[in-house]
Amino acid sequence: MIFDCHTHWGMCFVERDGRDPSAWLAVMDRYNVTHAIVLPHAGLEHAGHIADDHDDLAAVCAASDGRMIPFVTANPLDGDGGLAEIDRWLGDGEARGVKFHPWLQGMSVCTPFMDEVCERVAAHGAPILFHDGTPPYSLPAQIGMLARRHPRTTIVLGHTGLFEYWREAIAVMNARDNLWACLCGPQLEGVRQVLARCDRTRLLWGSDFGFTLFDALGYQLDLFRQAADDPTCQRILEDNPRRLLRWDA
Amino acid sequence: MAERRIIDGYTTPGTERETVMSVEALLGAMDVAGVARAVIAPDDRELAVDNVAGNARVAAMASRTDGRLIAACGANPWFGDQSIESLREARASGARMLVLAPALQGFSVVDELVDPLMRAAGELSMPVYVHTGQHAVGSPAQVLLLAERHASTRIILGHCGTTDYVADMRFVLEAALPNLWYELSFVRPFAMSVLHEAGGSDRFIWGSGAPRNDMSMQLRHFDEHWPIDEHPVTYAENLLRLLGEVAG
Ligand SMILES: [Zn+2]
Repeated sequence: MIFDCHTHWGMCFVERDGRDPSAWLAVMDRYNVTHAIVLPHAGLEHAGHIADDHDDLAAVCAASDGRMIPFVTANPLDGDGGLAEIDRWLGDGEARGVKFHPWLQGMSVCTPFMDEVCERVAAHGAPILFHDGTPPYSLPAQIGMLARRHPRTTIVLGHTGLFEYWREAIAVMNARDNLWACLCGPQLEGVRQVLARCDRTRLLWGSDFGFTLFDALGYQLDLFRQAADDPTCQRILEDNPRRLLRWDA
Repeated sequence: MAERRIIDGYTTPGTERETVMSVEALLGAMDVAGVARAVIAPDDRELAVDNVAGNARVAAMASRTDGRLIAACGANPWFGDQSIESLREARASGARMLVLAPALQGFSVVDELVDPLMRAAGELSMPVYVHTGQHAVGSPAQVLLLAERHASTRIILGHCGTTDYVADMRFVLEAALPNLWYELSFVRPFAMSVLHEAGGSDRFIWGSGAPRNDMSMQLRHFDEHWPIDEHPVTYAENLLRLLGEVAG
């Protein structure tokens, strides 16, 4: 099994394919990627689209034979409504985690709402994945403060600091045991340094496929495999995601 | 079949941290990738605080390779007049390009601090490579301002705002400044069509960013999305023109 832990059911796919995942999955098949965490997109761009986006996401994942694993989001300005949306999807296990994209969603992570979200998602036994690697709301250390305040919440840096902030991601990973990081962004030497300096049991891999129609998988998988030996690939592409998602529970 | 001439627009054969790469390793990587020549730049510490020693190390490397390696030099504008002096010295020792790394060197590219150095580079006919990212002090929009202010200095905008400032490139490319070129190291190969649609196709310069990225792998993926045979301008000619080796 290979898990791509950072993909989207993007607006471009909704527009082109409706709720049919076959073309999307065909790209996965090209690289023998068996499973993917699928994040929303339209709902990240526009809070008014969250409910529809989640319905699309649930439908498309339901049609994927268990290969596409949905994560949902919530409107950070909607307080109890946002929490209710999280309960609605995590309560019966239809979604397996929550995603926030602070700069797209226009929200600081340092808010009482995010404190509540962290506790609520932890109560559901699910992780929260954040876009990270860009100022002003998504720096690894900022997300690390949430991890510090909520030690029982599993929090994932969705990009391991991206191209510019992977050093910050390393620093914060090494300071917070409940923080995970998805290698989806740093250049080859950044990936190597993360592998060398972070706890490899908390690392994941992702492509960001689906945000656009481009096939990002070939490049991102090549880049990762160039940096990781076989046991590390096994661990990061399969073992760690299974643990994160409580796959065998 | 036409002979493929490929020049790598940016490499960092350095001595520490994530840029450890000997000249032999670099030449070996070029042979494997089929890259004829490469720009070589000082490493991070050399760009930040050790300009003179870094420039000497890079010049020595280039001088051993019969023009195959093209020396770039560093000068931190915080050194004031001394930075202009080191630029002139580097030029005299064979450097062909100045590198500015605002985040590393501790200034914003729109700070007047850099103006004397930019003017000096223009007078010496040396193109100036500007790293974009970290973007608070070196974003594509800021480099556009720099280029407008220094119309007689030719500027290479490194990395095209990768990653999350690549959106800014549409307006930068549409501005089509005559003194601005766009280098592609760290750009996602599959994102080339976005840059192309924004209209920068005749001003791209391919670079691998080695050893931060793998030269062969970058070239293979770029070839898939921006074929080498169709874009000799990107893979060699723009850079040769900037260096004055080809007219135009
Ligand atoms: Zn994403």
